[in-house]
Amino acid sequence: MEQILKSSQLSKYFYQKKALDKVDINIEEGKIYGILGPNGGGKSTFLKIAAGLLKPSQGEITIDNKKPGVYTKSIVSYLPETNYLYKWMKIKDTLNFFNDLYADFDVERARESLKFMELEEEEKVTSLSKGMMGRLKLTLALSRKSKVYLLDEPLNGIDPISREKIITSILDSYSERTSILICSHLIYYIEKLLDYVFFLSEGRIILSGDAEELRNKRGMSIDKLFQEVF
Amino acid sequence: MITLLKYEIYRRWRWLVLRYAALIIIGAILLNRVSSPTYQYEFIGESIGKFALTSLIIFIIIIVEGINMLKEDLFEESGYLTFTIPKKGRTILASKLALLLLQLILWTVITIGFGSIFFSKLPYPEIIQIKTQINFYFFPTVLFILTAFFNFVLMIHFSLTLTKTLLVNKRYSGILSIGIFFFLVYLIEKLYYGPFLNQIKHISIEIGSRSNIDLLSGGYTAVFLNIILTAIFFTATAYLLEKKINI
Repeated sequence: MEQILKSSQLSKYFYQKKALDKVDINIEEGKIYGILGPNGGGKSTFLKIAAGLLKPSQGEITIDNKKPGVYTKSIVSYLPETNYLYKWMKIKDTLNFFNDLYADFDVERARESLKFMELEEEEKVTSLSKGMMGRLKLTLALSRKSKVYLLDEPLNGIDPISREKIITSILDSYSERTSILICSHLIYYIEKLLDYVFFLSEGRIILSGDAEELRNKRGMSIDKLFQEVF
Repeated sequence: MITLLKYEIYRRWRWLVLRYAALIIIGAILLNRVSSPTYQYEFIGESIGKFALTSLIIFIIIIVEGINMLKEDLFEESGYLTFTIPKKGRTILASKLALLLLQLILWTVITIGFGSIFFSKLPYPEIIQIKTQINFYFFPTVLFILTAFFNFVLMIHFSLTLTKTLLVNKRYSGILSIGIFFFLVYLIEKLYYGPFLNQIKHISIEIGSRSNIDLLSGGYTAVFLNIILTAIFFTATAYLLEKKINI
C-alpha cells in the first residue's frame, strides 16, 4: 500500500503550549484511520495542519509527497468541526460553490446524499439544526472524489439518527484509492469503521496500532481501551 | 478569480444594491429640488454639500467593507472554507480587490455623474469662475488617488494577515494589527516617500489662484512609487495568505 500522508516529528506550539509534540503518523491508501483522544489532545490541530490551515512549528507533513498547499487542497477533503459555511448560503448555493471550486466535486452524488440525509436544497444554512448542519457538511466533504478525507469530529453534537446516516455515508465513500482520517472522542460510534488507530494525548501519540490487533491483544474494544488509557 | 469574485458579489449583493440605491435616490431627490423653478440658485451649494456628504459616507463604507472582506475570512469561521479551496493566495486576494475596484468605479461614476449635473445647474458665470480656479492635472490626480486608495487598503490587509501569521487566536489581534499598520505608515513615510518625494508633505489645493497640488509637481513619480508599494503589499499579503497564516 502506498503512503499518502506522512508526518515526521510534527510539532505545533501555541506560545508556551505544545499542541503537537513530535508526532509521526503515516497514512496508507485504502484505509480508515482514527485519531482518538480527549478534547485538547491535538487531534484537530493535526487535521488543520494537514488541511493547510495551520503551519507546523517544527517537523514536516506531506500529502502525496507535497507539503500542504494548493495541490494538496485539491486532493484533500476537509470537514472542520465548526460551522464554516458562509451564512448567506442556501444548501443549493453550497453545492454550486463546491462544484465551481473543487474539480473533484460530484454534484449528482451530493444531490443523492442530500436526499439520503433528508435535506432540502432550498433551506438556508443558518436555519439548520446542529444535526442537519453536520449532515450537510458531511455531504459536501464526501461528495468530493478526493484521495484523502479529513473528518474532524463528524459526530459531535449529532443526534443518534443522524449519527447512523453519517456512518453509512462514510462507509459508502470508502474505496481502495482513498484514505479516511477521522478525529473523534466518540469512539463507540466509529469503532467499527476503523482499520488503524492513534491515541493522542497532550500532543503526543501514546498508543497506536491496527484496530483488530489491539482488540485481540488487549481483549477489549477500542472504546473500552480508550476509557482505560484516558 | 472570476469564480471567487462571483461569490464575493453573491455574499454581499444586498448591501451593494442598498448602498448604491441610497446614493442614487438621495442624489435624485436633491437634484429634483434644485431643478424646481422656485428653487433659488444660492441653495444649490447646500444640495451639493448634502450629496457630497452622502457620497463620502458611502465611500467610507466601501473602504470598511474592502477591509472586512479579508478580515472576516481571517478571523471568522468562514476562513475554514475560503482557505481550504485550492486557489493561490494571490487569487483569493485579487478577487476581493477586484470587487473593491468595481465598487470604486461604480461610486465614481455615480458621484461624478450627479456632481456634473449639480454643477451644470449653477449660473454660467459661476461655472466659468470655478473652472478657472480649479485646474487639476487630471490623469496624475486620478491615478494618484486610485493607487493611494489601494495602498491604504492593502496596507491594512497586510497588517491583518501578518497578525494572523503571528497570532492564532483573536485576543490582542486588533491591537497588534493597528500597531503593525501605524508602524508601516511611519516606516514608509520615513524611508520610502521621504527621500524620494519630499513634496508629498505639501499637498495643498489653493482656491482663488491657479490650483496647485504640490505632490503632482512630482507628477507620475508619486504614482509610480504608489504602484511599487501596492505591488509589494499585494505580493507580501498573497504570500502570507498562501504560505504562512494560521487560521
